[in-house]
Amino acid sequence: MSEQAYAYLLLAPGFLVLLLFAFWPLASAIRTSFFADIITGSGRLGEFAGVTNYVQLLTNTNALAPAPFLDPSFQIPVLQQALFMTLLFAVLSVAGETLLGFLYAMLMQGDYAGRKLVRLLIILPWAIPIVIQGMIFFLMFRPGYGLLTEPLQQLGIFSSLPLNTTFDGFVIVTVADIWKTSAFMGLLILAGLESVNQDLYEVADVMGASRWQRFRYITFPLVFPVLMVAMLFRTMGALRVYGIIEATSVGCTTVPSMSCLVVELMFGSASLYGSAAAASVLIAIVVGLFISVYLLFIRRSSQSLGFA
Amino acid sequence: MSIDARNHDDAEQMGGGSDGDDDSRSRIGRWAKDWMEHPEKAYAVMGVFMGGVLLTTSLFPLYWLFVVAMAPPGQTNISLIPAEIDLTAFVDIFVQVPFARFMFNSLFYAFSVTAIVLLIGSLAGYAFGRLDFRGKTPLLFSLLVLSFFPPATLFLPLFRAFNQQIPLLGIFTLPAEIYGTPGAVVAPLSAFTMPLAIFILTTFYGQIPDGLEDAARVEGTTRIGALFRVIMPLSAPGIATAGILTFITVYTEFFFSFLMTGDSAAEWAPVVNGVLAFQTQYTTRYDLQAAASLVAIVPVAILVVFAQEKIISGLTQGALKE
Repeated sequence: MSEQAYAYLLLAPGFLVLLLFAFWPLASAIRTSFFADIITGSGRLGEFAGVTNYVQLLTNTNALAPAPFLDPSFQIPVLQQALFMTLLFAVLSVAGETLLGFLYAMLMQGDYAGRKLVRLLIILPWAIPIVIQGMIFFLMFRPGYGLLTEPLQQLGIFSSLPLNTTFDGFVIVTVADIWKTSAFMGLLILAGLESVNQDLYEVADVMGASRWQRFRYITFPLVFPVLMVAMLFRTMGALRVYGIIEATSVGCTTVPSMSCLVVELMFGSASLYGSAAAASVLIAIVVGLFISVYLLFIRRSSQSLGFA
Repeated sequence: MSIDARNHDDAEQMGGGSDGDDDSRSRIGRWAKDWMEHPEKAYAVMGVFMGGVLLTTSLFPLYWLFVVAMAPPGQTNISLIPAEIDLTAFVDIFVQVPFARFMFNSLFYAFSVTAIVLLIGSLAGYAFGRLDFRGKTPLLFSLLVLSFFPPATLFLPLFRAFNQQIPLLGIFTLPAEIYGTPGAVVAPLSAFTMPLAIFILTTFYGQIPDGLEDAARVEGTTRIGALFRVIMPLSAPGIATAGILTFITVYTEFFFSFLMTGDSAAEWAPVVNGVLAFQTQYTTRYDLQAAASLVAIVPVAILVVFAQEKIISGLTQGALKE
């Protein structure tokens, strides 16, 4: 058997699984998005409708779409609400996770007694199921029950029903996400830190560099490419946020993310499969745009460092 | 040395240590002087302090769960320190709902997806990492693109196919109700976690010198035998990393686990539904939910204890060298 045929043989099982459960659903979703919604019957599709679903989503003219998530007096179309919420969430959570992740990575890196324990305690939140992460923050903020509801209300930061208020719910979801995923960011950054050539630090010491200078001129530029990859992973995750919103029982009506929009269209009062598919393709486009920006950044930064 | 520091020295000498207040000030002065002369000490103290703060933030939510689990049912305004240590909630969760079965379901999903992904992903990773063939770059790129799509996009057609509303691949209608069987969760999650696993394994397999494989071939091993007897053992750290990442992703996953299953343990519902099962139409036992949450964390906590070095070394050694 030629090497070529052998390679295809080895790839076959993997790509068969991917074809059935990833490539095909992807293609099918894109196709579905061009067909009209039908609310009567068993949720089958209507006739070919071209880009009607997209136009209706973008112009907010789909009469069957779920009622505006947020306070109706805002008069903002559903899609814009979802887009704004998701982008804000992505920016804030990824920024917070990067900062905390860097601190975690430095804490995990040193060589000291008890390092194993410290590493365990840092990594643990990352391994916790999303539903439990949501449960924790739900129990903290439930009115009349949670420990943090009253103090924050007295300070005037949160309302009396934090889980049902958009601003409060958004903060809770963002903090919950940062709490859980900073450790993953920390792990990836740690991998970057450990691959930095230690000789460089010795040279820096000989030249009398301060701690800040060592960080600014050696650690940061060398870790930067890994940092970008880590941020790319997390941005992809953040743009698809859904689980934590449901699990904290903040809910899609309080903090509508883009994935929320798909689920609401699909399982809401009417099963609008065509529109749901169109919304999910729109998410993919937004994610794709972000990915391209990151990849451009990564390529440019590696070029400026003299890598291929 | 700065002027400030010199002033501190003076103050210390003038203080003379006659009463307690002065004494403490001079001790602070001595610390300050010591730290300024040996900045490492100051950094070490700062490091310990910051470490303490970070560990508190990462652990406090878990402690809170424990406090809630200790509280008697129906109690409101729970205080930070439990009034009594009452572990009955940890027994009740197994009595009131089949929580053990929910956990078994989740672990079953995690183990089967990991096994499938490692086996199938290893074959693909070997092809990508060690063989030359036409279409390699486009195929790798298709994996990359795939891993960028949100689960929501893939969910709709699979949901409909598993409920016999549309035929799979547009060709064949799936036989029985697949929805409500383990396959409805295992199959999509395998596809969803496969691309990252293939990337990690590709990197590790690519790093093994050709000579070792050639030697095994000369010894009379078949190609596939060389993969399982030489390449895979040598890439153990990579396989461990890919396996652990897959396992944790599946165990913590929400989207498919929540939407692709029914609500009861007998219908293969995972921990997600197990924790939510304490929420009935009339009452919600928060103490039981908290206890159940803590129990559900135990398997992954054990995994992290034993695998943390593997995770870190695996990521360092190759997962990111792309």
